[in-house]
Amino acid sequence: MRRRKATSALNTRLSPFQKIYLLLFAGFILGPFIPLIIQSFAFRWAWPDLLPSTWWLEQREKSMLPLAWDYVLSPYSRMLEATINTVFIGLVVTVICLAICLPAARVLARENFRGKPAFEFFLSMPLIVPEAAIGIALLMIFIRLGLAGSYIGIIIAHLIPTIPYMIRMLTAVYQGLGRDFEEQAMILGANRWQVLRLVTLPMLIPGVVAGALFTFLVSTNIFLLTFFLGQGKIITLPTLLFSKIAGGTLDASAAGITLLVTVPGIILLLVTERFIKEEAFGKGFGN
Amino acid sequence: MTKVQLKGVRKDFGAFTAIENIDLEIASGELVALLGPSGCGKTTTLRMISGLEVPSFGSILFDDKDVSEVPVQDRNVGMVFQRYALFPHMSVEKNVAFGLKVRGTPRPEIEERLQEILDVVQLNEFRHRFPAQLSGGQMQRVAIARTLITKPSVLMMDEPLANLDTKLRGEMRRFIRALQKRLGITTIFVTHDQVEAMELADRVAVIFEGHLAQYDAPDALYQRPNSIKIADFMGATNIFNAKVDASGQAQTSFTTLKLGPDEIGQGSRNASVILRSEVIDLLLTAEEAPADNTFAGVVTAREFFGATVNYSVTCGEEKIIVTEQSRRLVEIGQQVWLNIQPDRIWLIPEAA
Repeated sequence: MRRRKATSALNTRLSPFQKIYLLLFAGFILGPFIPLIIQSFAFRWAWPDLLPSTWWLEQREKSMLPLAWDYVLSPYSRMLEATINTVFIGLVVTVICLAICLPAARVLARENFRGKPAFEFFLSMPLIVPEAAIGIALLMIFIRLGLAGSYIGIIIAHLIPTIPYMIRMLTAVYQGLGRDFEEQAMILGANRWQVLRLVTLPMLIPGVVAGALFTFLVSTNIFLLTFFLGQGKIITLPTLLFSKIAGGTLDASAAGITLLVTVPGIILLLVTERFIKEEAFGKGFGN
Repeated sequence: MTKVQLKGVRKDFGAFTAIENIDLEIASGELVALLGPSGCGKTTTLRMISGLEVPSFGSILFDDKDVSEVPVQDRNVGMVFQRYALFPHMSVEKNVAFGLKVRGTPRPEIEERLQEILDVVQLNEFRHRFPAQLSGGQMQRVAIARTLITKPSVLMMDEPLANLDTKLRGEMRRFIRALQKRLGITTIFVTHDQVEAMELADRVAVIFEGHLAQYDAPDALYQRPNSIKIADFMGATNIFNAKVDASGQAQTSFTTLKLGPDEIGQGSRNASVILRSEVIDLLLTAEEAPADNTFAGVVTAREFFGATVNYSVTCGEEKIIVTEQSRRLVEIGQQVWLNIQPDRIWLIPEAA
């Protein structure tokens, strides 16, 4: 008699239900991009056609590139300026945010002080208060201080929603680190700077990279605060995009900009993913 | 070679007092255990000696020099943490060389001393591995090597055998013992396990609730504890109240015991007698027993441990535990006679 084929609960093959679920999941994430891609390559796409009535390919002799891309890649779109601004602001915000949050997270993870729960609640306030309220309040203050429409103003504004996330992530990382490693380094003769450089930072790196990535992405996606405080003088990718679609129509160039706006985030994710997964770290902490 | 002294050391954490008042002297080259239940302040004591904590009062002396306020980096001590605290992002080699690297030791010298110490701990073939790829015993040897390479004046260890399995325990115990004897380095370790303390240390300092309760060699501590609390902590089972008279007789509820010559003529008093379970002889007939200190009982329970066997013998109202090598097995319900030699009985005065 043949034995029944063993089925284990931890089967590595997916059931049909799981496959359908995954497909749906991917569909929800990637689906919205499909009309954008089609739109960006359309020559004429009028309602109620399901697909463009005229593709760019059929009208090649009239323009070198698809209309959308021709505009997006030209200086008139201000794409380059917006991209540089976005990346620059994102980087500066990330660095400042790290500098503020590393020491703060260390204290929150290791020390106990009076009013700590209240302080932690206070830290998450920017996530609770509507962005518009913060933005308008800041704008009133910044106009007086002469910070409205300046990079400094925007950077300070971006720190408000990013700090709570960063502190939370780094606190968790510090809690996992334990004092032993730093104390051991001190006993072995390392001074504060050596402890930080040789022990604490390398061990914190996966968490720091994750936090920095998150901060950068949040900063590059902030629209409302940038819009209020940039006062049209400083444009970033989200504000540029908003000005394109504010009229209520989604034309080919808006579609092109939208696609480009997603690029920095995707590149960054691919670069840092290797960092976060690094084998030596992943294994080393458990013991 | 460093002598370590603690003089009237006290440590408060806010309103909580971890150490009330401890005086302790550790001779140069000695291996001392700080033993106590968890929360007794033994780890705090170790951390103060290492410099990770500063005592609230009192002073810590290395070779008669006050080091209480010397920062941990300059104190030149070594500490092996319970969970070893190996840096997970560094190879064995880098972990071990860490102490020399941060001191700015020249590279050729680092290389030389690294080779030397890796040979001592027999980890040469593992030098390029990461901590995650090592077994518990190997991790501990790396931690010890990392500490010893800096030539510390005092070596400290937090629960050195606690995380190892039984077989490895014996191996590491012999390793630590041999290394310590060879280098002659003053060594202090903390443990909550009286077996670990006795198997490793020259002298054991028992700490209860922030006080030094007894400081003695392992055999003295085991056979002649100075309080019932210590006797209990050291695993003594047969502790009974007794009335001792001037002629050196102890009257217990089940028999009258003749005591050793030291106890004769000290006046009558109340005391506790300790009958160590392994010094009691268990006899099957009354004839073969000596006349003194023999009393009858019935075996009521038996616990078999392989090499040894424990019997519970009921004598009158009391239950006495007897430990024997398991050369024979006595049945439950058997009538037996117990005998104990007078000089093996230990008395603890009532007040203690």
